[in-house]
Amino acid sequence: MNEKRRALRNVSKNGDQSLGQVKREKLLSLPVEDAKAGAPPIKALSEKQRQTYEHAFDGVCAVAIPKPKSKEEEKQLVERFLAALQKLLTKEDNWTFLQQLILTLDACVQCQTCNDACAIYLASGKEEIYRPTYRSEVLRRIIKRYVKKGGNLFAALRGNDIELNWTTIARLAESAYRCTMCRRCATHCPMGSDNALITRELRKLFSEELGIAAKELHESGTVQQLRVGASTGITPPAFADIVEFMEDDIEEKTGRRIKIPVDKEGADILLIHNSGEYLSWLENPAAFAIIFDAAGISWTLSSELGGYEGTNYGVWYDDFQFGRIALKHIEIANKLKVKKIMIGECGHSTKATVVISERLLVGDMNIPRESCLPLLEELVLSGRLKLDPTRNNFPVTLHDPCNMVRLMGIIEPQRRILRAICPQFREMEPHGVDNYCCGGGSGFAVMSPMNFPDWKMNVSGRMKVKQILDAFADSMDPSIPKYVCAPCSNCKGQLRDLLVYYELTTRHGIYYGGLVELIVNAMADNKQPYISFEEM
Amino acid sequence: MGALVVVLFYGSILFCIVFATARLIRIYRLPLHIKWEFYRDSSVYEQVEWWTKPQIGFWQKAGAMMLDVLFLRDYYDKNRGFWIYLYTFHVGIYLLIVWHAWLFLVAPFVDPETASSVGLFLGHVATALAFVGGLSILIKRATDEELSVYYPPIHYVKWVAMLLTLASGFYAIYFYFNNETPALLKYVQSQVTFSDLEHKLHPPPATATHVLFASIWLVYLPYSHIMRLFLRYYHYLHDDEVPNVRGGEMEKRIGELLGQQVSWSAPHIQTGKSWAEVATTPAPKNTSKEQQAK
Repeated sequence: MNEKRRALRNVSKNGDQSLGQVKREKLLSLPVEDAKAGAPPIKALSEKQRQTYEHAFDGVCAVAIPKPKSKEEEKQLVERFLAALQKLLTKEDNWTFLQQLILTLDACVQCQTCNDACAIYLASGKEEIYRPTYRSEVLRRIIKRYVKKGGNLFAALRGNDIELNWTTIARLAESAYRCTMCRRCATHCPMGSDNALITRELRKLFSEELGIAAKELHESGTVQQLRVGASTGITPPAFADIVEFMEDDIEEKTGRRIKIPVDKEGADILLIHNSGEYLSWLENPAAFAIIFDAAGISWTLSSELGGYEGTNYGVWYDDFQFGRIALKHIEIANKLKVKKIMIGECGHSTKATVVISERLLVGDMNIPRESCLPLLEELVLSGRLKLDPTRNNFPVTLHDPCNMVRLMGIIEPQRRILRAICPQFREMEPHGVDNYCCGGGSGFAVMSPMNFPDWKMNVSGRMKVKQILDAFADSMDPSIPKYVCAPCSNCKGQLRDLLVYYELTTRHGIYYGGLVELIVNAMADNKQPYISFEEM
Repeated sequence: MGALVVVLFYGSILFCIVFATARLIRIYRLPLHIKWEFYRDSSVYEQVEWWTKPQIGFWQKAGAMMLDVLFLRDYYDKNRGFWIYLYTFHVGIYLLIVWHAWLFLVAPFVDPETASSVGLFLGHVATALAFVGGLSILIKRATDEELSVYYPPIHYVKWVAMLLTLASGFYAIYFYFNNETPALLKYVQSQVTFSDLEHKLHPPPATATHVLFASIWLVYLPYSHIMRLFLRYYHYLHDDEVPNVRGGEMEKRIGELLGQQVSWSAPHIQTGKSWAEVATTPAPKNTSKEQQAK
């Protein structure tokens, strides 16, 4: 039996060893010298961490699952996992995804067409455990053997040969956090199988039954959001201060005092941003305010608990947390009597609010919801804003957020805007629905436990670094500022970390930011540039 | 032995009908899912107030489905090295379906002596394409490390059985019926009209072998990819991109599903309540779990 096939069966064996390993010499090569060449790609866990948490998948710890203290506890966890698997396959507990889960479990013909679509698999140098079909096949074989009737009949012949034990389960839990759920593999599957859905269903199973989830997504993510108002911890009083500060900031940069509407009843648009914007990229919501004010749009922000936070991490791991947050947004919009909800530059939030939540909404709850990109396109191309493209005369490339582009089909508005206002706009390759994830998708951008940051910099984000460098290959001189436009908060978080890690700003003059900043930077009436590379 | 072949053959037909129907009913009854589509091109969401614009219609989806099924379009686009073998095999299978339809439609109603031999030619072309395609796939599956890596052993058996079925069909026609259309049509006619029971109960080895292999395929059919394709395309045509409008059919279906009682037992879920109740009730305050402690 060859090594690759053995890796599948070994998922249940040798729980004290890593099943796979990231090796620097195998990593995807970059077009410039790797700033980290020579250093181990993944920092080893400390002895205490190794003793405390499960790490036998690849030596990386993303979920921090405590090791069971006894064989009895292991046995109980295995039984609970099996019970959860059965729930996953029932209409009552999983109507939300049952149909597509069954399709994915049944449809794969092992043609491996999806492998070359996976940025993680390719960037790792085709490490077997990151093959997009790996975790799907492990789960498929477990279900066939332990859940379906007659699973043990001719088990080896039918490939139902994976043993279910705690080692398998712990590795599956970690493996569910080695996929960004960008679903590029799903678009490449000729049979309609969706490995990213398996990732999500695994995360869901662990969260909804065993109470295992990444802390950044659950405790300090959705739980905190529902409790204090935002996953960033921003409370309603803090939000009021931020809005005031934003107004001052706008006046300082543009010379105009704008009154940002908050809780304005009957406005046409309730604009909801990812609250990360208010903490890390205030220039982004400020740019929205400048644009909407200049265009005379009827809009408002909400200061109600949860109304100023667009994130919905539930979309990545838990149906009920997803539902709770989605319904909270709807409740706030209805209370304000707005005509529609609009989501700012945040990919997952847009997808969650506009698309995924649609089939949870009945009656008055089904309020119109849309992305900000079509309106921005209309404002830019219609001439309602007075724009001077020469103000953006520096190299610009576009990162396509997976959730907006591949998963919603919003492909052209952002490009038409950039073509109109950025004379040196160039595409990354591949782009559009074939884009690669930034590497921070599915929550990775906000997850930083133990040695997981090393993994997301060296593995999940590496393909994006290569794409960025390729896009700017004609102007690598650091004195020429270059702008990676990422109309997504999570993508920006990942890009920020990648640029620092690979020293792309200091060595090559590469910066990042959103789309609206470029629009405001091009506004002809502004006395000074809105984008200041010196301050970025 | 002959009677056993008859029992197996008609038993396999019955099995195929019963279990395929059962599977189709199960697929039909699967619940509506949360919207989880992906896109290969621009969508309605690119437009301001998209909900007022027309969405992708049934016939547009059906056209895309036909292109997928007839030309294996995704394989052509994404895995052309494998597509050439798959397509050869599938064209062979599609033509075999046409060939069998011709046989069963022509035999009872047309004088075998005057029937065109084009049908027989079609049968040979179809068999040859399916055989060459199937053999190529088997060899590729066995020798290409990527294709074999997670391929369960039983699927190799499946391909060998397919090749034997095709070979036995060719053998029966070419050697037993001397490659003559009238002889073949007379045989099919006697089979479908039950006019020669003696022959039916004591079939010659050449036809019995082919019928036995065909029986295996009939038993396998309800579990084959054809059913999986039905699962994929039925819900694609029925549910995907269908908007949820107030007071509409979709809303009614969603309302029913929101009433499902859930039994998930993590601390932040109120087990035993309906889906809607859980999603509209705040999680219990203490949802921190030992497993999440860091």
